[in-house]
Amino acid sequence: MTLTKEFLKGLYKENPVFRLMLGLCPVLATSTSVNNAIGMGSATLFVLLSSNIVVSLIRKAVPGKIRIPVFIIVIATFVTIVEMVMAGFFPALSKSLGNFISLIVVNCIILGRAEAFASKNSVFRSILDGLGMGLGFALAMIIIATFREILGNGTWLGIPVLGESFNPITIFILSPGAFLTIGYLIGFFNWFESRRLAGK
Amino acid sequence: MKDIPHFALVLTVVACFSAGSLAWLNTITRPRIIAQQQQELDAGIMQVLPGSENGVIKAVENDGTVSFYKGYRNADSTSLIGYAFLIAPQGYSSNIRTIVGIDSSCSRVLSIKVLSQKETPGLGTKCEEIRSGETAPWFQEQFRNKPYADLILDKDGGTIESITGATITSRAIMLGVASRMELLRDELDIPNTMIN
Repeated sequence: MTLTKEFLKGLYKENPVFRLMLGLCPVLATSTSVNNAIGMGSATLFVLLSSNIVVSLIRKAVPGKIRIPVFIIVIATFVTIVEMVMAGFFPALSKSLGNFISLIVVNCIILGRAEAFASKNSVFRSILDGLGMGLGFALAMIIIATFREILGNGTWLGIPVLGESFNPITIFILSPGAFLTIGYLIGFFNWFESRRLAGK
Repeated sequence: MKDIPHFALVLTVVACFSAGSLAWLNTITRPRIIAQQQQELDAGIMQVLPGSENGVIKAVENDGTVSFYKGYRNADSTSLIGYAFLIAPQGYSSNIRTIVGIDSSCSRVLSIKVLSQKETPGLGTKCEEIRSGETAPWFQEQFRNKPYADLILDKDGGTIESITGATITSRAIMLGVASRMELLRDELDIPNTMIN
């Protein structure tokens, strides 16, 4: 696979949320507003990139049988680093995002990429993979949050977009709204993909 | 079986690296976090005791730890505004650290402010939500000048509007305020008859 493709695959073809259906729990929980989606997306991108680099660096020293516990320690360490640095140096950001950061530990995209990619590939390829997958995750979060925030709250990034007369459909902010939105979007992407393949 | 010492060694090395780097980072971030919390608390006390900006705040200790604060309107601390205390009731998924200001007769809430919480994103976190066009969180504003006897949620027949989908969070804050008020009355020896 070429290096460009290694990076691009995470954005659409192997998009973690819409194509691989990985890490759906944090997506469901934190896509209530675009602001949260951007924060959660970038924090996940950082952890994914860092853990991919470290896992790739130590891949030859770690025996296969204990690779999962080792990966989990690496991931948890980076998540804690994000949490501590945010709380110490960006209190405002930490206040709006503090609730979500620790959820990154259980995001299976990160463990998934460590296991399926970084533990078998060079550091450089792992960086590209981490960047692509992380951006793909962040983009997916932003798309889902856009629908949920506009329909459920009448705002986008906190700015009112649908006017005073709009009565927000609260269910889109609640959990069922997350399932509905993700379901329709996955349906759309499957339909789009099958059309694309049929056209080939 | 002969692999086990090897596995243990690898895991130990990795864990030591992890713990070491976090411990080092902690020495840098910890003091900053504590300083921010203190600053936040000081600002919070002043905010929940309106009128204390030009006066003084005094901490009242009980067994070596701060139990509550007294806020005065003036610098020579003769004109008491009321009391402030920190509560951290258990919500749905976190302790909701909240600073509460009450009047000098211990019968009325002056104002409350949630300092930190890790409730469910999009539901319980709305206890800090500021609606567009408003300047203060609507849920907390409901406690402003609320008599003790009116600390009842709408779901229980009262007037405090609970957060949609987060009754546990709403109730935790409300009960936290009410029960700490009762304790403070005991501490200050204010008879309950004055309240009702």
